[in-house]
Order: sequence, then structure tokens, then C-alpha cells
Amino acid sequence: MMLLAAPSIDMPGWLASIIGLVAITLVMTVGVAYATWYERKIIARMQLRLGPTRVGPFGLLQPIADMVKLLVKEDLRPATADPVAFELAVFAIFIPAFIAFVAVPFTSDWLISPLPLSLVYLLAISGLSFIGFLMAGWGSDNKYALLGGMRAAAQLISYEIPLILAMIGVVMVTASADVYQIILFQDRIPLIALQPLGFLIFLTASIAEVERPPFDIPTGESEVAGGVFIEFSGIRWSMFQLTSYVNMYVFALLGAFVFLGGWEWPFGRDIGWGYQLLLTVVKMSLFIFFYLWIRASFPRMRVDQLMSYAWKVLIPFALLQIFLNGLFIVYDAPGVVLAAASAAGAAALAYLAFRSVRRGEPRKPLRMVPVRATGAPARSAT
Amino acid sequence: MLGILRSMGVTAKVMLTRKPVTIQYPEVHREIPNRDRAFPILIWDEEKDEPFCTGCHACERACPVECMTVVMKDNPRHATGESKRRKIIDEFWIDYGRCMRCNICVEVCNFEAIGMNNTWAGHELSRYDRSQLVFDLDQLLSQSKAGKVEPGLRA
Amino acid sequence: MVLERDPALEVVDMPINMGPQHPSTHGVFRMVLVVNGEKIVDLVPHIGYMHRGGEKLMEAMDFRQGIGYCDRTEYLAQFSAELAYCLAVERLMDLQVPERAEYIRVILTEMNRLSSHFMFAGAFGVDAGVFATSFTYAFPQREFLQEVFEEVSGDRLMYAYFRVGGLAWEVPDNFVQRVHEVLVHSAQGLKDIDDLLTKNEIFMARCQNIGNFSADQAIAYGLSGPMLRASGVPWDLRKDEPYSVYDRFNFEIPVGNYGDVYDRYLVRMEEMRQSISIIEQALEQLPPDGPIVPEKMPRRLRTPPGEVYAKVEAPRGEWGVYLVSKGGDKPYRLKMRSPSFCNLSALRDMTIGQYLADAVMILGSMDIVLCDVDR
Repeated sequence: MMLLAAPSIDMPGWLASIIGLVAITLVMTVGVAYATWYERKIIARMQLRLGPTRVGPFGLLQPIADMVKLLVKEDLRPATADPVAFELAVFAIFIPAFIAFVAVPFTSDWLISPLPLSLVYLLAISGLSFIGFLMAGWGSDNKYALLGGMRAAAQLISYEIPLILAMIGVVMVTASADVYQIILFQDRIPLIALQPLGFLIFLTASIAEVERPPFDIPTGESEVAGGVFIEFSGIRWSMFQLTSYVNMYVFALLGAFVFLGGWEWPFGRDIGWGYQLLLTVVKMSLFIFFYLWIRASFPRMRVDQLMSYAWKVLIPFALLQIFLNGLFIVYDAPGVVLAAASAAGAAALAYLAFRSVRRGEPRKPLRMVPVRATGAPARSAT
Repeated sequence: MLGILRSMGVTAKVMLTRKPVTIQYPEVHREIPNRDRAFPILIWDEEKDEPFCTGCHACERACPVECMTVVMKDNPRHATGESKRRKIIDEFWIDYGRCMRCNICVEVCNFEAIGMNNTWAGHELSRYDRSQLVFDLDQLLSQSKAGKVEPGLRA
Repeated sequence: MVLERDPALEVVDMPINMGPQHPSTHGVFRMVLVVNGEKIVDLVPHIGYMHRGGEKLMEAMDFRQGIGYCDRTEYLAQFSAELAYCLAVERLMDLQVPERAEYIRVILTEMNRLSSHFMFAGAFGVDAGVFATSFTYAFPQREFLQEVFEEVSGDRLMYAYFRVGGLAWEVPDNFVQRVHEVLVHSAQGLKDIDDLLTKNEIFMARCQNIGNFSADQAIAYGLSGPMLRASGVPWDLRKDEPYSVYDRFNFEIPVGNYGDVYDRYLVRMEEMRQSISIIEQALEQLPPDGPIVPEKMPRRLRTPPGEVYAKVEAPRGEWGVYLVSKGGDKPYRLKMRSPSFCNLSALRDMTIGQYLADAVMILGSMDIVLCDVDR
């Protein structure tokens, strides 16, 4: 691992990696706990109410209180649950989320494992989690969980494809599949300017991969009352919640690095690790704020609408983006042309995606049938 | 596309420009109006130093849920000439667990002896056991004797 | 090559129980859905969890005590229920309600319609999946309305304010000004919820072409209220059989075209605007003083023998009271015609063939009150 620490410390590489991974796990655990605090406060402000205020100043100790409560809760298991699937489901979701941090470069020097294909690694690891959903859904011996599990698996697999295609577009432009190199590529312009269509597709697909509203059908509270994890309680449920937020962090970081320029843009590499970390955190927070904003504003999509959106809308547009990238590379056009063409593609996506809601003839508005007063008023208006 | 942007605009506008509507109970209590009907209490006659209530059973008969029990007695202070009331209330129980706060007892009372508590003390009556919600005469008179209540709606 | 289905593997439709305790069944209501994949094949509703023997209880209550029970039956549109009960007894006793009382009754009933439809809008957004944002926009509006109700009647939910012949007591002096203030808030709240939900494409995709019900089917099932109007039948008791002073206002009735969930939502939103208009007209026409009970008000309410059916346009539909009296001060038989019960009977036919997620939306669009269904 490339450690920034004082060069006098001489430790073998594997020890440094383990220390780094443990540090990241601890920091991330606290980080996602406070992501829940952040979410509750922000969404509450959007809903005309205060968030947690009682536990600690501004409710800052609320995540700790929640964690303590969940840890001491009774761990209920259904008697007829499948032993292997039920026990291991949470781990199957929990572990890949944390392993993904191995390839995430927080600053230009902080990286546990420099991989030449780190983007491929990240996408592959984040795609492993659907097995855990299936295991939880089947192993719980509960119809709601089964429905949730099936829906989750379908959704996760479907949205992998536009996500990967959007990333392929990025790889084409930057000629590298290493997140570190992609960040270095963006020293003058962030990739969002060159690939707006890819950015939109990534944004949508990442919300679906993390299973946040409006794509939270597997855990839809109002229909399947908790969905996949309806039979899990206490620590297991908290592990699932934690994983959901860690996934959100991973995708927010990925988006910040790949599209917004990470710690490289706009100030370059020489500003020191403090400012680089600050830039990373700020850009990641923008993404997370956007996820929260969308959560508070949109209803949930129905599962068939969700699937048709992925297959019939996102994938063709992702292929369009790849096609445009190909043209740009082959004909060696200036970046502006690519940016303009991609922006046009993004506008077309926005238009068509929502045009498809109104199929056929435009909807007739309500008829208003007037009622006229026939009796005499008690007192006429002055 | 515009529809979802409008939704996001509303939530952003609310977040940035509106104050939350939360009232931090129990540190802050909302103002309750004069006519609030919390639970019935008996009124104490300051001048004559006895309850207004004479135990005439009018409210007990009128109550839709039969939550009151009334016992009257001869007023010992009538014989001595201190009071004009021949009969006076002896025992009075209201089961607050049954009361539906409909105000009918207040309307039918001939002596304006019962009223609805319109303070927060009338609302904050949680008990651990339902039997503790049956209030007897002293408890019913306590708020008015202490001068804390001026009921709003009188018959 | 065609894969043959193994005859040893039986394929059955899966029954799912949306039990009495469920986040989105609007009260204690149980639905057993039989699904094939995601499509609903059959639906069996189970009601009765809130049955309290209300109609029998009312036989032991005289005509002032019974008003409290009407509140508790229809706990979101209380004034409509009280109004129907009072109208029934007034028609039997042939009482003439003074004008000021009638106008105040109309103002309060329409404000109650506003608060009931705000509740619908909030809960419907939650059913659709908005993370309770519509709920928290709607409930402060209900609070403003409930504050006025508390100033007038003394209670926030179970008002028991109407009486046979008029009102129980006079409204406070600042009533007109308070109602004007609240209407400003209500208009703003309505606009907020409208911006949040109505044109949202995801919401429209969830609501359009779901639970379509044609006008003939609606009439056959005895639907009423916004569900009937959304299916294209322009029937509103305030227009077709006006009661109280509704024949003195100019307003409009929204009528839908498709009878789907989106039309019902739009009809209720539009009804809220029309209610605001009716309240403003009533405030202008309100006589500044006058009696609130008739001059010759009998001391004891005794009805002559006979029977009467009085109905009002409650926010959910036609709320009716069928009263049979054998003289005396208590009803011999009182039946409450509940709109939620009749609307709920159409649930099965509306839901078969839809997706599982739509069942929740359809149930939400019916806007039922379980106490009313079960009485």
C-alpha cells in the first residue's frame, strides 16, 4: 500500500494493507452510521420537521443509540428457515461491500491496492450482492421475503448492464480501466462534461443498484413491509442497513471519481492530502445529497416499469453513448463535439423516458360540471 | 421530465425556506383554546365554600356511556343556615376511561356545577393502571378548588 | 425443442395475506390475494375487525347522545356524519333549522371535507412510495383546520357540535377571520402536494390505467362519491338532491373520464379547490347574527312514529341514515349507510388482473375508513 505516513516506519506490505483495511472498515462504519443521521436530518427538513434532536446535541448520538438498541435486540429466527441460506445471507451482502474499498483511491497517495483494472474490480464486487438477496429471500420461508428476493435479484441484474455500459463509455474515452488513471485523466475537464449521457445513466443505474427509492421495490415498505429482510432482526438487520449505506458510499465515491474528477479536478495534484480528501468528501457528499433528495421526492416505481426502464430505455441509450464515443475516437474529433453530442443524447433520454409514460393519445382532463345557485342567499355580498 | 423536477423543486424549496412545524413537547405546550373539552371536573363554590353540585343525577342520566356514579346527601350546612342547598353531593365518581368528553353532562346540569377542564392538566392524565382513572370527589374538585380552571363552555 | 413441464412439479398460484396489521391497509383490514407471479388472480377481503355493534348501541341513545357516536363511526368526516343524523331527525320532527346555523354547518362540513381529503392525499402518497413527504405536507394543514374546529367545538377529532335543530352553541367571535386565515394555509398546502405528486411522471405511471372501472360497473356496485365521479357519472348529492343550503352556491363538480386511480386522485384534489370556493361564498353569505336553534325548539327531542332516510355527500360518498322511529326519544332502528362499505365491495373486481403493487394503490384510492366499513 502506498502509505503517506512517515517513511521511517518500515512495515511489510501485507501488514500495511491489513491496517489500512481495518482503518477503512472502522471509519466507514462510523461514516455510515452518521450517514443515517445526515439522511434523517436532511429528509426531515424537506418534510417540514426536525430530525433527531433528543439524543445528544442536534441528535448526534442518535446513531449510537440505534446501534446499541439493535445490538441488544433479541435475534429471532423462524423455525423453518433454511439454515445455510438464512445464516449466511447477510454476510453475502455485507462482505463484498467492504471489500470494494480496497480499490478506492481516497487521495492520490491513499490506496490499499493499486490494481490496473480497479474499475472492473469495483463493478464486479458490487454485483456479487444479489446472491445475498436471493439467499435471504428464499431462506426466510416467508412469502413477502420471497417476492422481495425475486424482485431484488431481477432489479440488480438488470441494472448492472447499463451501469457497466456507461463505464465502458468512460473507459473508451480515458483509455484506462484503472480508477486512479481515470482520475488523472480529468486534470482539465471532468468527465461529466464529456459524457453527460453516460453520467445520467450511471446516476440512475447506481440508485437502482443501491436499492434506494424510487427503485426500492425489494424493500418497499408499503407493500411487502420490509421485503427481503422481513425476518431478520437485531444485529442482522443492522448489518443489512449498514450495507445499504456502504453501497451508497461506494457508488457515490465511484461517481465522484469517475465523473466529477475526484481529487484531481480542479486544483490538480499538488495541493496536499488534506485538501484532496476534502474534495473527495465534498464531491461524495454531493452525490449522497442527491440520493437523499430523490428519496424524499419520488414515489416508488412498480417492478415491471422498473425493468422495462432498464431494458428498453437505459440500455439503448448506453449503447448510443458507446457509439458516440467510438465515433469520437475513430475520427479524432475534438472533445467539444463529443460533449455536445452526448448532451443531445442526454436530453433525448430525458425526453423519451418520460414521454413513454404518456403512451397513445394524450389524457383527457377532468370535466367540470357546473352547479348554479338556485336558492336566494341569506345575505348578498357587500 | 418536468414533473419530477417539479417534485424535487418542492422538496428543495421546503428545505430551504420553510420552518419546521414541530412543537417540542413537553418543553413547549401549545396554546389550547378556551372551549377545549378535556375531561369533566366539578366546580367549587368559593362564596359558600362547598361544591355547586347537589347530586341531582341529571348528568348521570344524560351520560351516553354511563361513566358517572352520584350519591347525594342532606346538606348539614343547610340546617345551620350557612347554605341554601338542601342536598349536597356526597360521593361522585367519574370513570375517565369511559368518558367520551361529549359535553352533554355540562349542558344538562341545572346548577352549573360541572365543567370541562380546559387546561393541559386535563389532558396529561396518563396512568399505569386503568383503575386509577376512576376519579373520586376530591380529585374532581381539586382543580377548581386550587383556582386553576375556568371552564369555557357553560350550559 | 420444446421443454416439457415435469408433471411431478405442480404449479400453483400463491396466496399472500395482507393481514390486519400492515402498513398500508388504512386500518384493520385483511386481504387475501392469490397471485400468479406478480399478477393478482383472486382477492378475498375480510372485514369486521372494527365492528362494535354501533347500530345497536344507537338504539339506546337519544338524539343528542347519538351524535357522539356518529363522529366515531366516520372519524375523518365527522361533520358529514353528524349532519346526516341531524337531518334525519329534523325531517322526522319537521323542524326548520335557522339560516345562520345552516350556513355554519355548511362551512364546517366543507372544512371537514378539506381535512379528510388532505388525509387522503397524505396517505395516498405514502402508499405510492414517497417517503412520507406527502404525509408531512398534508398533516400541518389538517392541524390548522383542527385548530379552528377546536376553537369552535372544543375537541380536535370528535366534535359532537351539531345538534338536532341547529348547533350546540354559538361560534366564537373571530370565527370568520380564523376561517379566512386557514383557507390561505389550505390553498398553499394543496399547491405543495399538487406540485409534489400530480405531474410527477413516476406517480402518473403508478396511477394511470390502474383499477379502471366503467360508469356502468360503478353504478352496478353502488359506488358513490369521488369513485363514482371519477368513472364518469356526474352524480353529486349537493347538485342532484341538495340538502341544507347547498342550493345557494355556485361551484363545479369534477368528473373523470377513465375511472382509474389517477382520475380519483385528481377528482379529490379538484374537490378540495371547490370546497375552498364554497367556504368563501358561505362566509360572504353568512348572516352576522341570528338564532342557532329554532324558535320553537322542544325541550325533549321526541320524534313522531315514522321512517326517514337522509343522505349527505360525505368526502367518501353517500353517507346515509335510515331512521325508524316508533315515537319516543330513542330510535327504534337506525341504519348507517356507509360509503366505504359499498365502495369496498368493488375491490375484487377492480383488482383482478392488476399487479401486486397496484392492489395497494387501488385500496388507497378508495379512501376507506374502517370504522365506517364495520360500524
